[in-house]
Amino acid sequence: MTYTGVNERADTMKKELTILICDDSVLIRKKLRGALEELGYADIHEAHDGEQAVAISLERHPQIVFMDIVMPVKTGIEALREIIAALPETKVVMASSVGTQSNLKEAIKAGAYDFIQKPLSQDAIARVMEKASAGGGA
Amino acid sequence: MFTQYFGHYLLNRNIVSLIQLQEAMEQLENTRVKLGVLSVNAGYMSAARAEEVHQLQARMDKRFGEIAVERGYMTEEQLEQLLGMQKEGHLVLGQALIDQGAITLDQFTAALEQYKADHLLSDDQFEAIKNGNIEELIAAVLKLDASIDQPWFREYLSLFAKNMIRFIDPMLYLEVNAVPQGYQSEWLVSQNIEGTVTLFTALSMNEGAFLRTASAYAQEEIQAPGELAEASVGEFLNLHNGLFLVSMSNQGIELGLKPQQIEHRAALPALATSYLITVYMSEGSFELIVAPRG
Repeated sequence: MTYTGVNERADTMKKELTILICDDSVLIRKKLRGALEELGYADIHEAHDGEQAVAISLERHPQIVFMDIVMPVKTGIEALREIIAALPETKVVMASSVGTQSNLKEAIKAGAYDFIQKPLSQDAIARVMEKASAGGGA
Repeated sequence: MFTQYFGHYLLNRNIVSLIQLQEAMEQLENTRVKLGVLSVNAGYMSAARAEEVHQLQARMDKRFGEIAVERGYMTEEQLEQLLGMQKEGHLVLGQALIDQGAITLDQFTAALEQYKADHLLSDDQFEAIKNGNIEELIAAVLKLDASIDQPWFREYLSLFAKNMIRFIDPMLYLEVNAVPQGYQSEWLVSQNIEGTVTLFTALSMNEGAFLRTASAYAQEEIQAPGELAEASVGEFLNLHNGLFLVSMSNQGIELGLKPQQIEHRAALPALATSYLITVYMSEGSFELIVAPRG
């Protein structure tokens, strides 16, 4: 396979990945979507609270979920537990401003794949996507 | 950061106008602090003596430092030390204002002394503040009202100042004020912190400050209130409070955060004690309200 061929295959894989962004802030959803599209991902869904995130996950079976923690209706940690219980293969990346010890411990215990501290940088998003799409374990 | 503080101080005391301050701020990069300003600032010379050297300089075609050392107004060592201070921000601002003709060296020196007296600062504290120590600056702001000088509050404010500078506006000035009777807010963005320290936190803004803050945080022009403006200011408060919780967590204090609320034309909830900080930006101002609960 030529070098170009390898790139093409990587691009096709990117396009096939289903990603869910869950954040109650329309600004964060917009910025995160923009960052992921720039990285070449196209199948991106959005949820604005934990409950909607669980519902969309059960319907779409995303490979990767970006999950805020502090949200109305259902918190990100509660949604994480429910998604992992139903879809244990899903990689849920917690993306929150509240990276406290207790949130980190709870997220890890509930099966989170990774934790990104807000503000989100394009670098941090690219790194976690590279790791997650390469099939790396948590 | 002291440069911005001092600039706002000059503006609030009507020592300079907004236009003069903005012009000077724009000129900072092109301004080189002259030895006259430096030597008076360091206390090696009075403003009158510096003026005398300036006048001699015009006649003698010699450098300021050379004349000052020759006349015994300062030593070689002091001259060396001054040359190393030429980049101190507030001095650059002072020089830019002097060059512009907005103030005289005498007025600049008097304003610096007045700032120190107004904030009840010792020489050491003033040195720390001039060198950009935000913690010292916040402590000085809080010292004016001893009842609010609690460790968590100092930390909360100092982090807020850093986040304002980082995400919204580097031209920042904070002032502690009382909450007026029957306080009404045009845009009230609030969030509760819960745990051993239970706090109501809020940003209260008029439409101009709301849109400027929203645009700065979103890094795009937001021209009218709406979902995006609300999300942007809300997310800024949420980010700041989140970072405060991380910092408290690193000190072994675990706190929780509730989702933020955004209200249009709202009164503050009933609060036993609340602290109101007026936050001045390069254009306009808003209020940060923090109230311990329970």
